[in-house]
Amino acid sequence: MTNLIEARGLSKSYGSHQVLNSVDFNVERGKIVGLVGPNGAGKTTILKAVLGLTSYEGHLKVLGLEPDKQRHQIMQKVSFIADVAVLPRWLKVENALEFVTDVHPNFNLDRAKYFLSKTNIPMNAKVKELSKGMVAQLHLALVMSIEAELLVLDEPTLGLDILYRKEFYNQLLAEFFDEGRSILVTTHQIEEIENLLTDLLFIRDGEIVLDASMDEIADKYIEVMVSKENVEKAEALKPVMQREVFGRKVYLFEGVGREELELLGELHSPSVADLFVAKMKEGK
Amino acid sequence: MNSNYGKTFQALIKREYWEHRGAMLITPLSIAAFFAVLMLLGIFNNNVTFSTNDFQINFFEHLPKMAEKFDNANFEEQTKIVHAGLYTPMIFFGFVMLVISFFYTLGSLYDERKDRSILFWKSLPISDTSTVLSKFVAVCVLVPVLYFAVIVLFQLYILLFATVAAWFSGSSGISFWAASNLLSVIFNTLMTLIVVSLWLAPIWAWLMFASSWAKKVAFIWGTLPILLISIAEGYLFRSSNFIDMVGERIGNGFVILSYNTKILFDDHKFDIGTGNWYQTFGNMEFWIGLIVSAVFLAGAIYTRRHRDES
Repeated sequence: MTNLIEARGLSKSYGSHQVLNSVDFNVERGKIVGLVGPNGAGKTTILKAVLGLTSYEGHLKVLGLEPDKQRHQIMQKVSFIADVAVLPRWLKVENALEFVTDVHPNFNLDRAKYFLSKTNIPMNAKVKELSKGMVAQLHLALVMSIEAELLVLDEPTLGLDILYRKEFYNQLLAEFFDEGRSILVTTHQIEEIENLLTDLLFIRDGEIVLDASMDEIADKYIEVMVSKENVEKAEALKPVMQREVFGRKVYLFEGVGREELELLGELHSPSVADLFVAKMKEGK
Repeated sequence: MNSNYGKTFQALIKREYWEHRGAMLITPLSIAAFFAVLMLLGIFNNNVTFSTNDFQINFFEHLPKMAEKFDNANFEEQTKIVHAGLYTPMIFFGFVMLVISFFYTLGSLYDERKDRSILFWKSLPISDTSTVLSKFVAVCVLVPVLYFAVIVLFQLYILLFATVAAWFSGSSGISFWAASNLLSVIFNTLMTLIVVSLWLAPIWAWLMFASSWAKKVAFIWGTLPILLISIAEGYLFRSSNFIDMVGERIGNGFVILSYNTKILFDDHKFDIGTGNWYQTFGNMEFWIGLIVSAVFLAGAIYTRRHRDES
């Protein structure tokens, strides 16, 4: 089973409002997939469907199971971090460890204790006594100690300061991720994670507008800083986006040959953020 | 797999205890401590009285006479007096327990949505059925057992207190213990608390269902429908069967709770079809109540499972 998540014709509507419009995508084992889209595009709905937190229409398999019927079986192999606000405030750190040990067949207590020993979190503190950053560390320590095959992250660093945000992803890569596992992540801070991602999914108005690996994207999308005399030539090649940097035009091309573009100026890989803006404006 | 399930369920019960230790244990302990101190102060104020219709003891006004009076009473009278002393606090603690249970069930499936911690709980491999059932077991068994433990401590305190008081009046105080029938009192106390909670199970299950459903202020969602149905019935049929049924259910809960004491002094038995805890098992309404509870619980499970959480 290489596909940890398999969605075909996944749809969801609230009343007459169609949030997801027959979406197809896969998340393969060993991938870190960024699910990116503006607010209201359907990101969270996809995650909720995958986690069995909402009903949906269409075909959706997570680890071969159906999330709307088999959530609690799926959660033996899937971990989830929303933002830091979801750990119950009254819960003591030591009780959190005890509880997850009792209910989770794939939880490794020693590992969790090891992660916590590297933080300043006291075992007998309640969640409400911890700082936001500490709560995130605690949640991450719990989740990284679960032998999960799929980790779903929904804006996991929301409201954290920059130190914790960096640390969060670094730890995740160093201590959790390997070729047997996958991560599906949504975030508004794309710059933070673009170097981690292996695959990108762009979603707009309930539809997937880009589904590609980072390698494919690097091949297909090229940014060129065009010198003045080449501007006309560049525009003739129909760039998908243009912007100006220090008075020079920068064009983003989709599917135009590298050799052709090299004649126009300096080539770069576009940032995910620029690509995102281009894709979101496309056809509008 | 089965032992895993048992372990998960135990963890869920522990979870309820951790979250509600204040209401489930600290509250009754504080009340017990408060009354224990009050009784000690009472020695100096001479106003602690155990009384029955035909027999009255003012413990500390006439300490020397007290022991003599008690020793002179026949064994049956002695038992009555001691049981009155032991069961009366149970009624009071039991009342507190029911109030606590009301608010516990009302918040049971609402608070986790309000603080969004449901996203954490749902990220663990625990079914909605186990979660909802654990909260129901918590209110029907865990809460009564914890209140029972505190009550037993308090009952022992009362006996010790009376014994020491007896020493001051020259008696050994042993007759209190002999007349107390302590093991049966303890067993009765435990069973009464559990059976009261089970008798009221349809109320708890309804409140849990309302709690799983409530968008805001769970209190309104729990109480308003009962009120509206009653008003609608009164308006349409000029009758009050529904509110009578709810009222009777709650009223009879208090009857079961206070039965151990009332039986001591009332000659006429209650004619409401229920009585002490073991007679309750023979009451059809008790079992119907459990079936109704199951329906509400199924509703709560369904709602928790299919509700969209953001």
